[in-house]
Amino acid sequence: MKRQEAIEVIMATINPQDAVVSTAGLISREIFENFDSERNIYVPGSMGLASSMGLGLAIACPSKRVVVVDGDASLLMNLGSIVTIGNKQPKNLLHIVVDNGAYGSCNEEKSMSDTAHLNILALGVGYQYVRIVSSQKDLRRAVIEFEQGPGFILAKIELGGRRDFCRPLELTTTKIRFMLFLKQSTKGN
Amino acid sequence: MDTGDKITFNTLAGERSGKADHMHQLFIEFGVNFASGVPCGVLRHIIKNFDDDATVLHVPANRESEAVGLAAGAYLGGKTSIVYMQNSGLFAASNDIASLLVPYGIPIFFVVSHRGCEGEDAIQHLTTGRATEALIQSFDLPFTVFEEQNLETLIGSMFEEMHKVTLPTFLLLKRGWHK
Repeated sequence: MKRQEAIEVIMATINPQDAVVSTAGLISREIFENFDSERNIYVPGSMGLASSMGLGLAIACPSKRVVVVDGDASLLMNLGSIVTIGNKQPKNLLHIVVDNGAYGSCNEEKSMSDTAHLNILALGVGYQYVRIVSSQKDLRRAVIEFEQGPGFILAKIELGGRRDFCRPLELTTTKIRFMLFLKQSTKGN
Repeated sequence: MDTGDKITFNTLAGERSGKADHMHQLFIEFGVNFASGVPCGVLRHIIKNFDDDATVLHVPANRESEAVGLAAGAYLGGKTSIVYMQNSGLFAASNDIASLLVPYGIPIFFVVSHRGCEGEDAIQHLTTGRATEALIQSFDLPFTVFEEQNLETLIGSMFEEMHKVTLPTFLLLKRGWHK
């Protein structure tokens, strides 16, 4: 499975009303270019903080489902975050790690995900739903079968893929429309 | 191993701080309903008050960067947040403040203990202690050093400014501030 294929499955399979928090670099840039929407928030710098932002959001809006699209090196850089997620047990959080075993947005320098067993760590710290997948079919099924979080899907992908995406720059606009989306879609809850 | 002993954390042995209690009351008045951070002894009364107040969602973090991310997410979800940390941690989280909170314009009220000031007995705090105000200034962000000002006026004006500019603001507290 390629990065593009994994992102396509994720963005097409989650509910239209889910909030999406995506990590820095190519993952956010690909989602921005192909799936830009008011439901998305892109983490511009601060690598590693997508899962922390997703947790803060999930706790602040317990009736809203939050999908974090993370990377393996990004998660490893803020690994304590999964401990906090396991501790707080947000039922509405689905944490998807797109794992190419490298710093894909840099020069594909190797990360340590091949020896980290991130799915086992997630299970150990208290995620309620953990899946490891390496095909589009299994990824789709893992997203569909997710019911109660915290959920963790480790999606193994190949290295490579397009790199010339544009960057999300209008961050103030992105923030305002995202906050409006949350307000409107959680009304009455 | 579960020994069956009951351990009570953060009791402060009954010690209270009128200033910290007043500050907490002001935080609530100005809409604070989410808090995250990493502990520092200088901030113990503040942290205990968050723990004891059911109106505040208190999510302690493992590292200061994580606290910045948690509070940023909570802000997007409509919460008003305090992030507390020691100034050493402010250096650790400085890129997250600069590359996440500033470009998005996310207002978060930071309460930062300022170690490494005059009379400091721990050598590891001296370099960051000298550089703390300069770090915040270099980001062009507002900060206030607590020096016995009227708390109501101080906290009120800091929140007002923070919401006006939609950027983080920093309250620096030195050792002994709570007495």
